[in-house]
Amino acid sequence: MSRRAVLAGVGHTEFGKLAGRSAWHLEAAAAAAAVADAGVQPRDIDGLLTDPGPAQGVLDGITPHFLRLGAQLGLDPDYAGSEILGGAGSVAIVERAVLAVEAGLCELCLCVYGDSALSAPGSFAYGRGDEAAFGFFGAVGLHALAARRHMHRYGTRTEHLGEVAIAARSHAARTPHAQKRQPIEMQDYLASEFLVEPLRKLDCCLVSDGAAAVLVTTEERAGDLRCPPIRILGHAQAHSLSTYASSDHFDRLPAARCGPKALGRAGLAPADIDVALLYDCFTIVVLLQLEDYGFCKKGESGAFVEGGRIAPGGSLPVNPSGGLLAEGYGGGMLHVIEAVRQLRGEAGERQVAGAETALVSGHGLGMNTHATLVLGS
Amino acid sequence: MPAAKPPLPQPDVLTTSFWNACRRRVLEISVCGDCGHRFLPPGPCCPRCWSPRLASQESSGRGRVDSFAVYRRTYHPGMPAPYVVALVELDEGPRLISNIVGCAPEEVAIDRRVEVRFEAADGFSLPRFALGHGKESAKGGNS
Repeated sequence: MSRRAVLAGVGHTEFGKLAGRSAWHLEAAAAAAAVADAGVQPRDIDGLLTDPGPAQGVLDGITPHFLRLGAQLGLDPDYAGSEILGGAGSVAIVERAVLAVEAGLCELCLCVYGDSALSAPGSFAYGRGDEAAFGFFGAVGLHALAARRHMHRYGTRTEHLGEVAIAARSHAARTPHAQKRQPIEMQDYLASEFLVEPLRKLDCCLVSDGAAAVLVTTEERAGDLRCPPIRILGHAQAHSLSTYASSDHFDRLPAARCGPKALGRAGLAPADIDVALLYDCFTIVVLLQLEDYGFCKKGESGAFVEGGRIAPGGSLPVNPSGGLLAEGYGGGMLHVIEAVRQLRGEAGERQVAGAETALVSGHGLGMNTHATLVLGS
Repeated sequence: MPAAKPPLPQPDVLTTSFWNACRRRVLEISVCGDCGHRFLPPGPCCPRCWSPRLASQESSGRGRVDSFAVYRRTYHPGMPAPYVVALVELDEGPRLISNIVGCAPEEVAIDRRVEVRFEAADGFSLPRFALGHGKESAKGGNS
């Protein structure tokens, strides 16, 4: 019997302001939900991988997050660790779990993202080393540089970014647990204040308290579980660590390298993807990924998103649960979970009809890290 | 209450020479002693050939705007908005994050020529840039 890894149980907390519950409380609740979804017991877990959220103050990589969470969950797993890859972390720990399970290092690996960024804020506007002396604060400034270059090179308009924000809210209106469910129109988007021009407040992801967890196991073991397994068709990572030394750092995401690898392993082309779960910390990142994954040609993402193509009912629904822009900041793990729900056919009002394939991405740090999963029902 | 100060550079083993050069109004770039590659930020080796034989060179201080962003919201009380953060590509090749100063944000555009302008900041000298003359000309920008 195959040791091929599959995604089994999924679970998450509410997302939004959850005062009085620490990130540890939220992560424990998400873990319990994932275990219940799969119908296994906590003692069955033999792998633990964590992606601590940005406000947990562990981006220095020193605090062993998995150690504290593992102690709280009473685990003595065969395999454990944390990934510090920024917004690519959640997809990356799921990928690492797949590798670990397929290598026989563990059999039931719990992957957890969590944060209490709204109730315990602090690290979102962090400076970037000496660049803070020039006022270069936060991820928003960095992505504003990318947006400005895209507008300059390809004639992309502020309304194209707006289409991404509007689509996210349209999706979230169909998502009961989403943090921002009120739909917006273009006039609302254009009235949104600039934070770092050309990016407006509505171009930016939400800040959330919440946690999400996914269980990775073998195909064989999944046969005993109560939830239908979701297959891993392909996975890959790529990173751009040279940053400014690379002349196209802001123009082309590492997705252009790991996307074809992950899709190639799956034997699929971009056009074969039924639903895309694209990491959407800022609207511009969705536009860049549409191009770099090959859903449209380079420079044409602005035109691509016109007419609601990525909105509910569009030909390529992107982030049907609302994503980081509207569902809540789930570090990318909510993207994985939404892919699982879509492929199980459990997404209710927002179900993409006949969804059999999904692409999930994570993108992080200074536009440095990227990870891709291609999933199938 | 005293006025808030902006964040300052924190020179370390790799960047002390760069910031000391700035105090002499010199924009210093690293040069590989083996392959000749010019780069920023300073590092322990050449990022192209990994040679540890490094030297430094004085940049002309001239370059072009590779991209820019206009901070409209104040994130730090010592850096009141609006101000322009730019990715500047020096004529010698390296790129660095800095500010475009001495003009309205609306005057900044990608590919505009810029020239370094050192500004004192609490014991440091920060290499900011001002718009120069001309566009896309390697000889432009001398104002």
